[in-house]
Amino acid sequence: MNYVGLAGRDLMRNPLRLTLTVLAGAVGVTAFIFLSTVVDMFYYNARAAQVDRLIVRNKVSFTQPLPLSYYARIAALPGVTSVTHQEWFGGTLGDTQKDFFANFAIDARTFLDVFPEFIVPPAQLAAFRGDPCGALVGEQLARRFGWKAGDRVTLKGQLYPGDWTFNVHGIYRGARPGVDTTALVFGYRCLNESDRLTEAMKDKVGIYAVRVDDPSRSAEVAAAIDHLFDNSPFPTKTESEKAFQLGFVAMSSAIVTAVRVVSSVILLIILLVIGNTLAMGVRERTRDIATLRALGFRPRTVVALVLAESSFIGLCSAALGVTAAPVLVSLFAKLIASRFGPMPDHLTRWHTLWVSALAAVAVALLAGVGPALRAVRLPVAEGLRKVA
Amino acid sequence: MSLDAPSATAPMVRLQGVSKTYRRGTVEVPVLAGVDLTIGTGAFEAFMGPSGSGKSTLLNLVSGLDRPTTGVVEVAGRDLAEMDDRELSDWRAAHVGFVFQLYNLIPVLTAAENVELPLLLTPLTRGERRQHVAAALELVGLGHRVGHRPPQMSGGEQQRVAIARAIVSDPDLIIADEPTGDLDRKAAEAVLDLFGVLHRDLHKTLVMVTHDPHAAERAGRVHHLDKGVLQ
Repeated sequence: MNYVGLAGRDLMRNPLRLTLTVLAGAVGVTAFIFLSTVVDMFYYNARAAQVDRLIVRNKVSFTQPLPLSYYARIAALPGVTSVTHQEWFGGTLGDTQKDFFANFAIDARTFLDVFPEFIVPPAQLAAFRGDPCGALVGEQLARRFGWKAGDRVTLKGQLYPGDWTFNVHGIYRGARPGVDTTALVFGYRCLNESDRLTEAMKDKVGIYAVRVDDPSRSAEVAAAIDHLFDNSPFPTKTESEKAFQLGFVAMSSAIVTAVRVVSSVILLIILLVIGNTLAMGVRERTRDIATLRALGFRPRTVVALVLAESSFIGLCSAALGVTAAPVLVSLFAKLIASRFGPMPDHLTRWHTLWVSALAAVAVALLAGVGPALRAVRLPVAEGLRKVA
Repeated sequence: MSLDAPSATAPMVRLQGVSKTYRRGTVEVPVLAGVDLTIGTGAFEAFMGPSGSGKSTLLNLVSGLDRPTTGVVEVAGRDLAEMDDRELSDWRAAHVGFVFQLYNLIPVLTAAENVELPLLLTPLTRGERRQHVAAALELVGLGHRVGHRPPQMSGGEQQRVAIARAIVSDPDLIIADEPTGDLDRKAAEAVLDLFGVLHRDLHKTLVMVTHDPHAAERAGRVHHLDKGVLQ
């Protein structure tokens, strides 16, 4: 036998209580990972943002349009390597948002120059570019609805009136994990050249996306772009792609904060559950601990034994939680996808799992401090008289 | 009051002017008063007295589990007051073996593992620890019960395991607090026989507290405590 064996035997004194405590801890870790993943999802697009990309939007609000004519002026600026534009279309498959997915009107010629992380087979890309009402569908979205090249998709316009039919010419995929493949994009010409648009709606775009040759000069280029349109009827605000995406997160900051608070509360609950179990265990073993102290075990050895128990509970809880959480997140993602559209793959990040596991062990250790100190502070002679 | 009997050998235990007072809230409760005592090396001495007379407190002071309010406690030539908690722990591990009334075995450990506990504090290898444990359990007649846990053994057997634990690290001093108090007569006799072996054959110094006159008879000298005072 050794100290580890001794701590292990102490842990197994009450297997049911140990099991329930570990399960309670695991549920807490699972919930913590789940909520952390929910928070992560808010930042999903911000994380995927590229440092060499800028977003140009209307200074008043991103809901206000910008003139198409800005394209050439932005493209001519020094430091700009490519420019594209896109417009939120907001179409739905039916009259409701039940089968919601993102759909944009994009500049078919330039879109992939600025967003090279979207991979489209060359033949499909050529067909897409050759058809004003051609569309590309992300592979996750295509899987969801069983779409393939050659299909026709009709969307009911929510911002642009009427039904709009697009010809699917290809399926795009991501060049790396984390690239969003849940949207449908179609040619801007299909929208802009339609006689259903009023004159005021024509030649307008939602945002410009700009690639710069030197990310360290992004701020300089952004300032130059905004300076170009300072005195126009449509002044611009240019920011990094990440800042642009974080602007969307800021709109949900109350929700994000609430979720984070609940995550912290869960950690506190784990702390209390494990602390309670250890406190009960130490109280029940008062005489045994006093006996060890009488035999010559130093106070720090007794503290180490109690902390070994708490960290073991934390480790088991973390292992179970880290195993269960991705499954739960996946089920949740499926539920969400069935109502709001496909979710990105690999939602639960390794970073989240590691942080959660470490947090669980740290909290468990913290929970053990009180009972451990209580164990060594009790006078030995008094402890020896305790009857279990 | 004092009982400072001369011993034929060098003193193992020497108490001088020892008193102990506990605080219960705002009330001070004197438990021992002015105890002077010498116990020789290799002696077997018993303490008797009514409940609350201070017997267990005296044992706790001699074994370094508690500190006196006043006075000096010297064991094996060391003044226990000079040691901090860590030093006292190390000192107890090296010099004192304990036998308690309720055995105080760890219920989730086997007899062998219980006996091995004091050896975890020594530099012995696992193999050496096993040898010492086996020898100690053989000595108390429980070589066949190494794998049994305390709940699977009788009270007498548990107390013999406790004695094996007390002697396995070869301490100078064995402290026994009511070692037969929870045993039937036959088991008590077996335990007392073992104490005789420890005293006569292994030359251990035994200090025992007991209510049992039969047990006290086995000791070389019997002290009586009453209201914290040695008679």
